[in-house]
Amino acid sequence: MLKFNYNKSEKALTCFFAGRLDTIASFNLCDELYAKLNTLRGTDDPAVMVNDKILFDMTEVNYIASSFIRICITVAKQVPRGNLTIVNCDPFLKKTFKIAGLDEILIVT
Amino acid sequence: MAESQTEKADRIIDKAIFAAAEFQQFDQEQTDRIVEAVYKAGLNARISLAKFAVDETGMGIWEHKMWKNVIATQLVYESIKDVKTVGVISTDPVTGITEIAQPLGPIFAVTPVTNPTSTAMFKILLCLKTRNPIIISSHRGAAKCTGEAVRICYEAALAAGAPEDCIQIIPSGSRDFTQLVMAHPKIALILATGGTGLVKAAYSSGNPAIGVGPGNVPVFIDDSADIPFAVSNIITSKTFDNGTICASEQAIVVEEKTEQKVREEFERQHCYFLSPEEIAKVEKVAITAEMSMSPFIVGQSVEVIAQKAGITVPEGTRILLAKLKGVGKDYPLSHEILAPILAFYSAKDHNAAINLCIDLNYLGGIGHSAGIYANDEKTIMKFSLLINAGRIVVNTPTSQGAVGGTYNLLPPSLTLGCGTGGKNITTENITAKHLINVQRVCRRRINHKFADADQKIYFDENCNETVLTKEYHKNH
Repeated sequence: MLKFNYNKSEKALTCFFAGRLDTIASFNLCDELYAKLNTLRGTDDPAVMVNDKILFDMTEVNYIASSFIRICITVAKQVPRGNLTIVNCDPFLKKTFKIAGLDEILIVT
Repeated sequence: MAESQTEKADRIIDKAIFAAAEFQQFDQEQTDRIVEAVYKAGLNARISLAKFAVDETGMGIWEHKMWKNVIATQLVYESIKDVKTVGVISTDPVTGITEIAQPLGPIFAVTPVTNPTSTAMFKILLCLKTRNPIIISSHRGAAKCTGEAVRICYEAALAAGAPEDCIQIIPSGSRDFTQLVMAHPKIALILATGGTGLVKAAYSSGNPAIGVGPGNVPVFIDDSADIPFAVSNIITSKTFDNGTICASEQAIVVEEKTEQKVREEFERQHCYFLSPEEIAKVEKVAITAEMSMSPFIVGQSVEVIAQKAGITVPEGTRILLAKLKGVGKDYPLSHEILAPILAFYSAKDHNAAINLCIDLNYLGGIGHSAGIYANDEKTIMKFSLLINAGRIVVNTPTSQGAVGGTYNLLPPSLTLGCGTGGKNITTENITAKHLINVQRVCRRRINHKFADADQKIYFDENCNETVLTKEYHKNH
């Protein structure tokens, strides 16, 4: 459901999501994701910014619930503007992010 | 730090936007499953919600509100269940046009005090069927029962897999906050059912709106009508939920030659004609100085109204009738009153009767509904061509007839479009088709009449419309 790949030279964390990210799946993965962000920032204080680049790879995702959209917003608030990018969206997902207005606060490709 | 009103509005609307984003991924089958679950939950709660509404608002009759809940759930569901509202909804190989339904986005719905639970469930079903999240603003006098209807629907929707926050309700009571949400740029459409002020606010918000306001329903009993039948139907309609439906009869118009017969029939069926002194007393409690109906008599029984007016009427009286000589501010009871009070007019002839109906129609009820009892098709059509009403119901109680689904094949609806006369974009009964954006995929189909015409002559000033028409219709 969620795998990570950290590129040290680029200081970039890629999060590979897979499958149907409905409410339950989103709930289940958020702890793991937030723990990874805490590792990067060196503290579990979400007020401390994560300075690494974060990529959400959506290649294997076919559905997102509003809970996953909330996760994206939560993460976007914890990194400098422009450091969270959502990549490899199916057009169906691209439209979903567009309707949610996420392209106003992060990059969706 | 306390959340500001703007932040609160943003938070509510963001939740609706996220729900919209999730909802638009649903297919027809998933959508229909949710609608079915909500309809069943609403129908199962029809009695408790009806009693709750009467207890909280002090208006109407619970048995009738129960029927309104049935119309809003069962009849509405039956009318929309097989309608395609997701993806491709039609394809025409001849025209090459394919229609695709897309959701609108968050819908802000205002519900009235007179039909609180039924209107809420009706609007929820339409929104879910069209994959639009809904934010409901209830009337402050019906906040608890509307909240309960919303809770029941939302829980059923979630259990059937609907997106979180697809149904929300905002606290009632603050007009400023309601207007803030109404005018929010992320609201796709406002579905406003209520008084003139509310509907005007909806249209002034800058967002698209379907606002349905007051009516003032004239009913003409022609001399070709079956008078006992007409009177019986009018009573059925006007006493339904103590007259709280905006399509209920407001004035009965007859010709002098049938007046006595109609009067006797009303009296035989336990209605009471007020004396001029009694009319003056009822006017004072029914109509305010601003010529709007008093909220204290809306949905009240004849007994309560008589008591408030300080008059005595026979026990078991079903409707109070006031014979008036005119229409307008000098005749307060000629205005809309959502209670069992009817204005009554006798006109010297057929044309004068229809003219009176036109006057009543234009006294605050343009575009809404009208009724006629007649068995002469020419009269029915003459009346219909002259009256400005979205629904002209024939030989039918106007409350039930205009709402649709029981006495005719109009789509059952608790939001009745009033056309441009009521500042609406449609005269139709609002249903699922009004809550989708229809995209049209238009395949190439050449207009050969135009393509094969001699294009050069269009640039020739000596060629007038006769020449151009001939050229256009030439056989090539």
